[in-house]
Amino acid sequence: MSFARPRIIMGLQPRLLVTPRAVSLHSAMLARRLLSTSTCSHAQHSQNSNGQDGPSSGMAARTRHTDPAAPRYDAHGNELNPYAGGQSAIDKAVHLFFFTEIIRGMWIVLENFFRPPYTIMYPFEKGPLSPRFRGEHALRRYPSGEERCIACKLCEAICPAQAITIESEARLDGSRKTTKYDIDMTKCIYCGFCAEACPVDAIVETQNQEFSTETREELLYNKEKLLANGDRAEAEIAANLRADHLYR
Amino acid sequence: MPSLIRTLRSVRRVGLREWWRQMQYIGDAKSGTFVGKDQFGNRYFENVNQYEEVPGRHRWVDYAQHNYNATQVPAEWHSWIQHIRKEPPTEDAIMKSSSPPWQAPWVENLTGTRGAYKPYNTVAPKINAWEPKITPRS
Repeated sequence: MSFARPRIIMGLQPRLLVTPRAVSLHSAMLARRLLSTSTCSHAQHSQNSNGQDGPSSGMAARTRHTDPAAPRYDAHGNELNPYAGGQSAIDKAVHLFFFTEIIRGMWIVLENFFRPPYTIMYPFEKGPLSPRFRGEHALRRYPSGEERCIACKLCEAICPAQAITIESEARLDGSRKTTKYDIDMTKCIYCGFCAEACPVDAIVETQNQEFSTETREELLYNKEKLLANGDRAEAEIAANLRADHLYR
Repeated sequence: MPSLIRTLRSVRRVGLREWWRQMQYIGDAKSGTFVGKDQFGNRYFENVNQYEEVPGRHRWVDYAQHNYNATQVPAEWHSWIQHIRKEPPTEDAIMKSSSPPWQAPWVENLTGTRGAYKPYNTVAPKINAWEPKITPRS
């Protein structure tokens, strides 16, 4: 008996020191820290991985709720309280019976109710778009008005969806031009490889994304339609290519 | 309530008549500086004050037609309203210099109308029906 009593006192001492009751109740009532805004304190490199077993998701350590690396016994062989640093039962009961988490969630709803909406009213306001955006295709012309395409068929070769069909013939002045340049827009996956493959910047993808049609046949573009697209939007295409020319 | 204050401020700025028009089309009272007008009569506005307009909603268009359509915005203004270009095309030197003289007029998406695009073949057919040539008998 006289041998065991000091060990009990020593074992209880850290518990009494670590859990000051008044501070934890105070923090429970005033806790406004949100789960969404707090940083993840568990995100850390695992200690046992020394670069040999590769990357791990860390899910095993999270599903197992007790930390295996934490010391379970102190220097004197006493069992440590694994819940010493966490919430006490009274704190949990306060959260449970005072609905603090539900009220916090409702407060967020109330805050956002009085904030101006972020909704973009679409046909009047539009979201930002990149000059590299890949939309409807267009065939461009040189500033002189001569069409750029030289019928090298690189776009036809690289097209992963095989949406492009080209036929060519030599003109009277000896230059090779396309007689048929068809793009099946229902096949096209808008990868932009045709614009990347083109040596003369003839086929480009414009920033136009509003070319929806009522029938499927209207999406089978031929050369005239593609040239008309380029003629309408040449200023925008040229400005976008100029904005992006340093990175190509 | 910032949205009520914003609405009242916009109504006071643009006037009741313009506010009624905005409520019929945009569905929101907005006020800002007039940036320009394109060849179809669509008017473009901007308000970069972040306390008056949410960033992302700071450029908008007031369509001239009742049956408005996103493709009624011509390409130059399209690149302004989609935040591709910083300056509007009336002030953008690069956009002005890259407009060729042969630029075609803008047409909106005409699908569903008689002006809709119909695909056709641009080359002569390679397989032709046999047309028998008969040598005349003497």
